[in-house]
Amino acid sequence: MAGIQLRSVEKRYGDTWVLRGIDVSIADGEYVVLVGPSGCGKSTLLRSIAGLNDITGGAIHIGARDVTRVSPRDRNVAMVFQSYALYPHMTVRENLAFPLKIRKDPPAAIQAAVAEVAGMLELGALLDRLPGQLSGGQRQRVAMGRAIVRRPDVFLFDEPLSNLDAALRHHMRVELKRLHRRLGATVVHVTHDQVEALTLADRILVLHQGVVQQVGPPRELFDAPANTFVATFLGSPAMNLLPGRVDDAGLSVGGVALGWVDGVGKAVRGDVTVGLRPTDVVAAAPSSAAGASPWVGAVDVTESLGAEALLHVEIGPHKLVVQVPEPSPWRAGAQVQVVPRRVHVFDPGSGRRL
Amino acid sequence: MIVRWLVILAAVLALARGASAADVVVWHAWMGAEEAGLVAAAQRFEAGGGGRVSLVAVPFGVFDAKIETAIPRGNGPDVVIAGHGGLGKWARMGLFEPVDDLVIAPQMPVAEEAMRWEGARYGVPLAYKTLVLLYDPAQVAAPPKTTDELVALARSLAGDGRYGLAYEAGAAFYHAPFMHGFGAAMWQDGALSRLDTPAHAGALGLSARLAALGPTRPSSERIGQLYREGKAAMVISGPWFVADLGRPIAAAPLPIVSETGQPARPYLTVDGAYVTRGPNTDAARAFVSFLAGEASAIVRRDVGGQAVTTLGVSADDPVRTALAAQAAVAVPMPSDPKALMAWEPLNKALRQTQRGAASPEGAAAEAQAWLELLTRPPPEPASPTPYLMLVGVLGLLAVGRVAQRLSSVELRGQIAAHRADYLWVAPAALAVLVLVVAPFLVGATVSLFAHYEGSWTFVGLRHFADIVLSRDWPITSPMSFPFTLAVTVLWTITNVFLHVTIGVALALVLREPWVRLRAVWRVLLIVPWAVPSYITALIWRTMFDAQYGAINAVLSLVLGHPVELDWFARFSTAFAANLVTNTWLGFPFMMVIALGAMQSIPRELEEAALIDGAGYFTRLRHVLWPLLRPAMLPAVVLGSVWTFNMFNVIYLVSGGEPDGATEILISEAWRWAFSRGNRYGYAAAYAVVIFGVLFVYSRFTNRLLGKRVL
Amino acid sequence: MRPNPVVVALAHVGLVIVSLVTLYPVLWVVKMAFSPGQGFSVGLWPIPSSVTLEHFAAVLGTTASDGTWLFGRQLLNSLVVSGATSLLGLVLATTAAYALSRWDFPGKEPGLGAFLVTQMFPGVVMSVPLYLLLDLLGMLDQLAGLVLVYATTAVPFSVFTLKGYFDTIPRDLEEAAMLDGAGRVRTFVTIILPLARPALAVTGLFSFMTAWNEFVLAATLLGDPRSFTLPIVLQRYVDDYGAAWGSFAAGAIVVSIPVVALFFALQRHFIEGLTAGGVKG
Ligand SMILES: Nc1ncnc2c1ncn2[C@@H]1O[C@H](COP(=O)(O)OP(=O)(O)OP(=O)(O)O)[C@@H](O)[C@H]1O
Ligand SMILES: [Mg+2]
Repeated sequence: MAGIQLRSVEKRYGDTWVLRGIDVSIADGEYVVLVGPSGCGKSTLLRSIAGLNDITGGAIHIGARDVTRVSPRDRNVAMVFQSYALYPHMTVRENLAFPLKIRKDPPAAIQAAVAEVAGMLELGALLDRLPGQLSGGQRQRVAMGRAIVRRPDVFLFDEPLSNLDAALRHHMRVELKRLHRRLGATVVHVTHDQVEALTLADRILVLHQGVVQQVGPPRELFDAPANTFVATFLGSPAMNLLPGRVDDAGLSVGGVALGWVDGVGKAVRGDVTVGLRPTDVVAAAPSSAAGASPWVGAVDVTESLGAEALLHVEIGPHKLVVQVPEPSPWRAGAQVQVVPRRVHVFDPGSGRRL
Repeated sequence: MIVRWLVILAAVLALARGASAADVVVWHAWMGAEEAGLVAAAQRFEAGGGGRVSLVAVPFGVFDAKIETAIPRGNGPDVVIAGHGGLGKWARMGLFEPVDDLVIAPQMPVAEEAMRWEGARYGVPLAYKTLVLLYDPAQVAAPPKTTDELVALARSLAGDGRYGLAYEAGAAFYHAPFMHGFGAAMWQDGALSRLDTPAHAGALGLSARLAALGPTRPSSERIGQLYREGKAAMVISGPWFVADLGRPIAAAPLPIVSETGQPARPYLTVDGAYVTRGPNTDAARAFVSFLAGEASAIVRRDVGGQAVTTLGVSADDPVRTALAAQAAVAVPMPSDPKALMAWEPLNKALRQTQRGAASPEGAAAEAQAWLELLTRPPPEPASPTPYLMLVGVLGLLAVGRVAQRLSSVELRGQIAAHRADYLWVAPAALAVLVLVVAPFLVGATVSLFAHYEGSWTFVGLRHFADIVLSRDWPITSPMSFPFTLAVTVLWTITNVFLHVTIGVALALVLREPWVRLRAVWRVLLIVPWAVPSYITALIWRTMFDAQYGAINAVLSLVLGHPVELDWFARFSTAFAANLVTNTWLGFPFMMVIALGAMQSIPRELEEAALIDGAGYFTRLRHVLWPLLRPAMLPAVVLGSVWTFNMFNVIYLVSGGEPDGATEILISEAWRWAFSRGNRYGYAAAYAVVIFGVLFVYSRFTNRLLGKRVL
Repeated sequence: MRPNPVVVALAHVGLVIVSLVTLYPVLWVVKMAFSPGQGFSVGLWPIPSSVTLEHFAAVLGTTASDGTWLFGRQLLNSLVVSGATSLLGLVLATTAAYALSRWDFPGKEPGLGAFLVTQMFPGVVMSVPLYLLLDLLGMLDQLAGLVLVYATTAVPFSVFTLKGYFDTIPRDLEEAAMLDGAGRVRTFVTIILPLARPALAVTGLFSFMTAWNEFVLAATLLGDPRSFTLPIVLQRYVDDYGAAWGSFAAGAIVVSIPVVALFFALQRHFIEGLTAGGVKG
């Protein structure tokens, strides 16, 4: 088992930069989830760790070893591809045995290892089938099994659950967690699914345009996003961003003074970007009672999510999404008073957290 | 695993090499009874302690090319048995050892003479071949004495599918007796004779009259068949015709030409045995001398049915008696290589008059013009200096270019980084370079030289100018490059069009799930692809026979009246015959490609169009075809390149008839290389031009399609 | 969906007719092979009126002057040459096609172009230079020389087809294999080749047919009847001096059977192997 150090990793195709100055340390046994919008370089980073593509600059260490120039076959990492990349002409058993056969393990050992993994992933009944004869979830388990069977130092997962239906995905998520606990291996996992990221990760790494935006435990990223990108990228529904101002009287948005709302630093002055999670807002019927919010708008559209509803509220020129519990009394056109409980403030220029 | 296979491969190859350790290796082209006679004679020689003899029957078609390449390089046999027609060329090339001092049994003087070239004796005569009048004694009581009698008798015996006279009238060899009888000649006193004399015209007229008595364009096997069935009363042929006929046959010398009162005088060929240059001449000389001897002659006569040249071995049957009588007036075949040039013009004139495409005088004049072109002196040697300089400059430029590119550090780095990749490509690249590119480059170099009777002259780009500018023929002549190119292009377009149309149409049916036995149809329909094409092309040729071919039989059945269309008499029908054959050969490939391409197009697309209300043909046109087209294009381009160079079909089916009009570029090149005085340089220039045309075509299609296809 | 019964019936009638036309010339060969006599058959119906096996007996029983079974020897030659040709051709073509499909090395594009350009060389006029070349290499009159020439001739088309097929094999399979610890050769042999089976079948068969059917080069390069391949033998039956059509046809059937059998055995791979490769290339 080993950790991973990425030191100023850079990758460029011709003139296009795909990865820029990635400096991250992943501890031994840590489960890191890599998120970011499509095309931001997640797969590229994963493949760089695996050695499937050369990096343009920087160094990669796995354990104590600098593997920057080491061939993928000697890095002792295992990868589960989004397409699973099962060898279509080999049975499940042969697929599982392949890495061990290459390593020239004795047949008895191979058999034992395959049996163990098959038991762990409940593949026993499928061992003699070809990948073409398996369902998506079964294939996914075989791909996982082929990674596990070698006991590698590092697991790399590239969107392994994205081809599965919701129920199976949930099931596999739990399985993954269990497996990680059991094997104690270092894992780097790429996903587009926030729930997957938040539930599985010890730490989440957010990548945007080839640059690391923030690395940290899920709670930290959620509670203290480092910039507007992370703030809007994580969390569902996404955070509202509004232009605002902080002066001696506190925060004001669109000329409406809201006072010192929780989350506004006392030292902050000047123009800011205000981030407001739809869940950090209370909606109420408009009233002129003292202490009531001066922030009133009209409901434009409502969306029901089952247990909650989302209200799209128009306050002056701004639009705000607010989450309220169902059953909600609000209908389109109704007037609603919005009370922010907690906000995040960012520098309007750099987007950095203030 | 690969290594294991290679080891097995090497072992098997080593095993299959099987060199034989014979004392005398003999190459010959005799077949059937003659071959059996030779085998029997060789057995006697071995039994007499003469050493082991290995007899190699070399296919007739490659015989000359083979001895001419093998012997100079020391890979040839010890003894060659061949007709004396090529002796002049071979003696000049120094293939054979003179054998003046060899003592052999006395031979017919004319045969002895045939074995000589420029004063030296190069071989021993074994058997002679000439033409006589063969007839069915059941139908012909007394053989005709004159050609007029021959015509009259033949007419009286014809009718009801029977012919009075059948012979290979379209071949100049069979025309020669009457040509000589008219007092005309191809070759006289060591020089080519003019072909446009009145005597030649008269002879051509007579041949046309005689040809009209028999079936159209008969092959020798067809004539044999007719005779066997009693449908040919008289035949002009030689001793080879008589073997296993299963029907009585009689022979007489050819009749006197009525117009001149002179006897018809056929050519006489002497098959001789020649000792090749090489180390093993003693055993070879012993064998050769044995072959010419009496014992061998008797065996060859009795087993091989040969008319032997050995004096004292009497002709013991009527046919051989007639042959002997004919031999007395026959004209020995000229063995000077120059004489060979007259055959093609004469053949052409003969076929033209027989088809009625030209008057005898016109055909004779045209033959003379053709002959003059073929025999004009080699072009002036060009000075190689400017070419060498050009090559040098181009070479320097190329080297400079490469050096310049390699000076880029980045490129060198990339090359170094991919060093291992090159290893993967290297074996194939090396093999193709050595065995495909190098021979082609050698050929391309040869195109700068003219080859005349064994000697090479540097002529620069002259061949190219001659070909491309069509300096020797008006462009309307089938011999001209523009004409041949046009035919080739027409050939390619029509073929590919038919291949694709038929292939796609069949694929459209075969992809339908409701078609029963789909696998069976698919298998049946690729049969033409599976059977070797030289076999099927030959079969197609016979199917286009005018009188007996299956095609005409089918047409007769369909049209309800007898059809005796001579397919090879006109360009349109001859071209059609080639086209039908090649279409038959080529559609399965396109069918398979189309089936595959259709499989990769999701059926949902058509179903969507169906739901949108599109009918079948609308769906084909607007949904299937646009998707199918890009998938088929590479196959179409590749197929057109293959068709462009489809030598086999042209050569085997129409053979260029009529008058070379259906010849395509590649078969034209072949003729220049192998049948018109071995003009290798000219042929090589043709090959380079063919490559050039195809190269331009491929660049053009790549540009048109926006991607590399070829 | 099923169209109306008239269309279905018409389609089947059409297929029967086309198949008959397709088989007609082939049936002539069969007729000649089984009919007595060496003449070629005439008329409309390719059905033999009387059946004899004499031609097969004569062709199959050909012996050399020393009594060895010449035909058997020549059949073995043909099999060995063709088998070796397809094997060697595949070894050469698969490695090159794989490299051309996967790796971007300098010179790759021009190299691929050069392979394809050789398809435009007019073949029939190259026999003499080839003869000289093999003589130079000391491989004249050896089956190995013939194999080398045939295999090489087949390489460009094979590379073209195989490269197209390799292009359709997803790369992550190789990447997975690499992470599993397999090297390039290992990946190629255990992952790529098995997956490319249809294309291998097609190109292998084409190389086999190149060698099995060729006679001009073979007749030029080989000098000993013991080393002859069958097409040379077959060709001799219809030489200029009187053709023996019966023997030719019988020989033709004997020669065709192995190719036709191979063809049918492999034909289900054709559509896949050729189109993924040759077409989408
Ligand atoms: N071989 C290549 N050549 C040039 N550009 C490439 C290459 N491979 C990837 N890229 C570019 O690199 C960027 C990052 O690609 P990458 O596959 O890492 O994205 P990703 O984050 O995994 O996206 P997704 O979530 O859609 O899988 C993309 O803009 C892509 O276009
Ligand atoms: Mg990705």
